[in-house]
Amino acid sequence: MTRQAMFRRIVLSSLIRRRSRMLVALLAVLIGTTVFLGMGAVYYDIPRQMGREFRSYGANLVLVAAGGGSVLKLEEARRAIALLPVDKVVGATPFRYETMYYNKQGLTVVGTDFSAVRKTSPYWRVQGEWPQKDDEILIGADIAEHTRLYAGSFIALEVSPPKGRKIKKEMKISGVVHSGGAEDGFVLMPLAGMETLLGAGGTAAVVEISIAAASEEIAAFSAAIQAKTPGLTPRLVKRIADSETTVLSRLQALIFMVTGIVLFLTLICVGTTMLTVVMERRGEIGLKKALGADNKAIIFEFIGEGVVLALAGWLPGLVSGYFFAQMVSVSVFSREVDLPFFLVPLTLCASLAVTITASLLPAAAAVDVEPALVLGGE
Amino acid sequence: MFLRMVLGALTRQKKKLLMMACAMALGISLATAMLNVMLDVGDKINQELKTYGANIIVTPRGASFLADLYGVEDGAGVSDKYLSEAELPNLKTIFWAFNIVDFTPYLDASVSVNGHEEKVPLLGAWFAKHLDIPTGEAVDTGIINMKSWWDIRGSWLKDDDESGVMAGSIFAGKQGIKTGDKLTIFARDNSGKVQTAFLTVRSVFHSGDKEDEGLLAPLALVQGLTGLEGKVRRVEVSALTTPENDLSRRASQNPRSLSRQDWEIWYCTAYVSAIAYQIEEALTDARAKAILQVAESEGKILQKTRLLMLLLTFLSLACSALAISNLVTANVLERSVEIGLLKALGATNASISFALLTEMLIATGIGGVVGYGTGLGLASIIGHSVFGSAVSAKALVIPIAALLVLLVTIGGSLPALRMLLRLRPAEVLHGRQ
Repeated sequence: MTRQAMFRRIVLSSLIRRRSRMLVALLAVLIGTTVFLGMGAVYYDIPRQMGREFRSYGANLVLVAAGGGSVLKLEEARRAIALLPVDKVVGATPFRYETMYYNKQGLTVVGTDFSAVRKTSPYWRVQGEWPQKDDEILIGADIAEHTRLYAGSFIALEVSPPKGRKIKKEMKISGVVHSGGAEDGFVLMPLAGMETLLGAGGTAAVVEISIAAASEEIAAFSAAIQAKTPGLTPRLVKRIADSETTVLSRLQALIFMVTGIVLFLTLICVGTTMLTVVMERRGEIGLKKALGADNKAIIFEFIGEGVVLALAGWLPGLVSGYFFAQMVSVSVFSREVDLPFFLVPLTLCASLAVTITASLLPAAAAVDVEPALVLGGE
Repeated sequence: MFLRMVLGALTRQKKKLLMMACAMALGISLATAMLNVMLDVGDKINQELKTYGANIIVTPRGASFLADLYGVEDGAGVSDKYLSEAELPNLKTIFWAFNIVDFTPYLDASVSVNGHEEKVPLLGAWFAKHLDIPTGEAVDTGIINMKSWWDIRGSWLKDDDESGVMAGSIFAGKQGIKTGDKLTIFARDNSGKVQTAFLTVRSVFHSGDKEDEGLLAPLALVQGLTGLEGKVRRVEVSALTTPENDLSRRASQNPRSLSRQDWEIWYCTAYVSAIAYQIEEALTDARAKAILQVAESEGKILQKTRLLMLLLTFLSLACSALAISNLVTANVLERSVEIGLLKALGATNASISFALLTEMLIATGIGGVVGYGTGLGLASIIGHSVFGSAVSAKALVIPIAALLVLLVTIGGSLPALRMLLRLRPAEVLHGRQ
């Protein structure tokens, strides 16, 4: 029998014969790997996931016409948006402001894209329906209270287009919008509907963009927009962008601390369990030494055992760690977790480091074992 | 005899039991820290979310939106409604007074600067106003606390500065105004007379909002210029709130539609709509509206954070409980010889289990107490390094930690004990396993 085959046999059979002990050690490694991978994945995924949640505060970048102009071209805005990474843009909504009259009273009417507005301003509450057709509108809660018009009623708006005579147009109120902000005093209609009434298609006063990114990143995007589309001035909504950065960095620091502490304690627990399991093999070592094994061979055996344990616990630990992270992500954010690949080899390194350290400590003690004393039972 | 056995084991097996105690101390410190942080994280994040500014806006009833809506000028009658500055300390006397973090009144005026034709908005506000509340408390509140995201080149104004003004960045850029410049301001007061003020620009601010296009001055100064002493146009309030639910949404539409019981639950919960309602009660002819952009989003973020911490706490506790009970198992497994000897001497299974469990529980119990102390330390380290304030220790954590010690110790020992008790004494004592 070669030396190598003998080594293999000693390691494997010591693992197999002492089944209950090794099961305990294996379970420890598995738990360690699970926590390491799970917490690591959650930590790396938090900024992305939480960043998306923070988008419920609404737009953090606003495009206006350059040079103090009040009208921007939507074509240009589209080119600007094309400069942003697609997966980070939550939504982009154009707004065009006009004055129309109801019973001779001026109303601010906002033309917008309702499917986009639901993404950039998810906090609006609409009683009734969102407009589906070009002649359906939303009215603000304050206007509804003042005029006693509600979802389902009709309203006749008077418009004076730049060219031509006044037009009176009957509109259906599909819902009442309530936001606590300026929208409560506005009438909102589809941009397309406004364009057929007033002409001047393809223009807006502002375009609000909601981007899932930190404020420095948005500042970089806005510099790029400034350079490539001279007709537009991007403005960072400081209140939203800065506050998000503050709160998000706090949250991340919290998760970092928690992850660190949990990992540290788990690794100690795993190491201690391994240590206990290996510790009780002093008798065996005495026997081997009496049979002529040298210290190096004994230490290698211990390391070999540690490596086998680490590998055997790591593989199922990867699976359960992935489920750990997935469970957190799906139940908190209703989204799949994005597992960074580098965590996989890192987890292996961690579990190898812990098992080898935990095996080496008793091995170092074992080297000093006097065979006669140990075998004698003292 | 039982006592002697347990005590004997405790003193003789010092090293092994010490290890158990240490492991339990680690585990319990983790549990204590995580649970305390988890129970407190809502309040902490809620405080952080205050950097988004006001979540309630208070305006005079009736005139609240007309100025915005129809672009009506001052003096036309409809928008000449104001709140009284003297009533504002009442905000700190409502049921949820403690949850009102900051508030600032505003009064706006339209002025011309240095003889230019163009009208410039001049906004008066509190900066860090000192208030003595009827309840005996004293607070400092104002725009400095509420607009933490503003960039200021220079320093904030003082509330008693009668000749200072801050310039918005867009306005300053257009007019080429710098810190230290002198401005002459003409305003028309409510009786139509022109008032003049000579002001010095103390600093330039950038808010990223429409304030950038005008000037900002102490409230008293703007009240003097417009002849509206003691009056304010609107008040922004920043309050700590509970996330909205069905009840509060129904209530925000019409509080009177609630049943008496629901109404009481709603009134006594810190929903943004309940706080707004109480503000309306505290101020004469006021209308308080929740700014949904802030209020709704706050609720969402809070819920997500709580749920995240809850899950992380639960999972990491489950994992560490498993790891420690695993360690207990390893520890018990080691004592096969001792158990074999006891059995050979005629001890019953029950008495062996009882003695061993008592021993284990004493060791882990001591570890648990030490761990609780360490855990409180860990929690306060997390609190200070992440949020800059201590995490309050919750009493609820103590029974949970005690239960964990008990469950983990017993759960870890029993399977190993059952296995060991099945072994035959002779085999074990001979050394075969």
